[in-house]
Amino acid sequence: MTDFEMIICRCEEVTYGELIKTAEEFNCTARELKLRTRAGMGYCGGRTCRPMVDKAARGPEISKDTEITLKYQPPLRPISFGRLGGKEK
Amino acid sequence: MTDVIVIGAGPAGLSAAAVAAEKGLNVLVIDEYMKPGGRLLGQLYEEPDGSWWNGIEESAKLFNRAAEAGVTIKLQTPVNNIETTADGIWSVYTEEETFVTRHLLIATGAAEAPVPVPGWTLPGVMSVGAAQVMTNVHRVKPGNRGVIIGINVLSAAIAMELKLAGVEVASLSLPGKNSMTEESADPRKVLNSLLHVSHMAPSPLVRFGSRFLQNDIMKKLGVSFFPKNGVKMWDIPVQLRKAVIEIYGENEVEGVVMANVTSDGEVIKGTEERITADFVCIAGGLYPLAELAAVAGCPFYLIDELGGYVPLHNEQMETTLKGLYVAGNITGIEGAKVAAAQGTTAGLTIARNSGIHGLVKEIQLAIQSIKQTRDNASIQFHPEVKKGREIIQEKWEEHARALEGTGSEVTSEAEAGG
Repeated sequence: MTDFEMIICRCEEVTYGELIKTAEEFNCTARELKLRTRAGMGYCGGRTCRPMVDKAARGPEISKDTEITLKYQPPLRPISFGRLGGKEK
Repeated sequence: MTDVIVIGAGPAGLSAAAVAAEKGLNVLVIDEYMKPGGRLLGQLYEEPDGSWWNGIEESAKLFNRAAEAGVTIKLQTPVNNIETTADGIWSVYTEEETFVTRHLLIATGAAEAPVPVPGWTLPGVMSVGAAQVMTNVHRVKPGNRGVIIGINVLSAAIAMELKLAGVEVASLSLPGKNSMTEESADPRKVLNSLLHVSHMAPSPLVRFGSRFLQNDIMKKLGVSFFPKNGVKMWDIPVQLRKAVIEIYGENEVEGVVMANVTSDGEVIKGTEERITADFVCIAGGLYPLAELAAVAGCPFYLIDELGGYVPLHNEQMETTLKGLYVAGNITGIEGAKVAAAQGTTAGLTIARNSGIHGLVKEIQLAIQSIKQTRDNASIQFHPEVKKGREIIQEKWEEHARALEGTGSEVTSEAEAGG
């Protein structure tokens, strides 16, 4: 297996090759790279691949030192719809 | 309503909870893991004075102190969101219940960065911290013969712990270079980062260092003359001139492909060899686990010396948001003792902000104690951690000045005294 075939985001099955190619082609920020490839947008919410997606991004980050590049959103841990809606006990 | 809620039952969270409860507040600690102690649980190493630091015993001490002070501890309870309302009440959402408080401390510690090497998604590959928890906390061998990819303070310490548990570590080596492994794949940068810690590291690392790192000639020659077969640390080959370029196996880990690399980390073709192993640890280092502070809306700064993005906070452990505090590795990667000292400070600050008088002096002493603990620490995860602490303090002061300019309060109670 080569670096290019290696999976980086397991939830969405995004490879290293796809991330690097997309980052180069579009000169992406981390957020744009995520939106274009869906890396970090799966079941786990990017809890594993986040640092790698950040590193693959090539584009200029706006105020990179004061803002987290990839947004965190609740729920921060997987939760069932029933529990989230308060219907399930 | 609970007076104080602490998220995270590690050294910072438990210390803060105990102190706040001892000052008369009722305190709830929430943690997603099944045992209290956080990552302190896995630690086992020899102190420079020859005594042993056993994380399980240290965690029990912290837990007992908190329990005796009347702290309620809720385990196996992940927090999935926190929110504040205009009246200064924080809601803490867990799967089953929502808790409310006026004083919320986030002490969620750190997370491990992965190391992308082809094959890293095979069963049998785990983070080095997971191998530590399996071995030291659950007393289950992660395998019989392992390879650790990533050479840093944490992986060196855990390699030794695996060895103590009777698990063979075939090699501690670099990851193959790609645009995500970057500096962790560069032999020169890795050697330099190890040189910085070797002079203050506990005895096993000093022994490691004395073999070659503290030898002036070797320092000058650097990695160019690093032995091709590595140097041995507790009989484990440490290989700065070899990198793992692939982890192979049909359905699970069967071994790794290792190759010689130049002093820049470039693979030398034709030198590939297969090394059998039944597990592989990837060690990409630690970064502050700040997700809750991020959803709360804290401003962040990227400070490499502290290990990544950290929420803006002051020396009393207050954030810019009313009633929200941080302590431990979420503020920067350091050892458990520093985290506990930060927790103590946070607990006292919360007590003062809850209206308990006469704590000003005690808080000052607690802040001093954080610095002393840092000065006496045997390992620094980042050699420039003090610089990192200064940067965040400067940012806080900038923030405070900006608020003064607009006539707003710095934080609710930061200047209230008591």
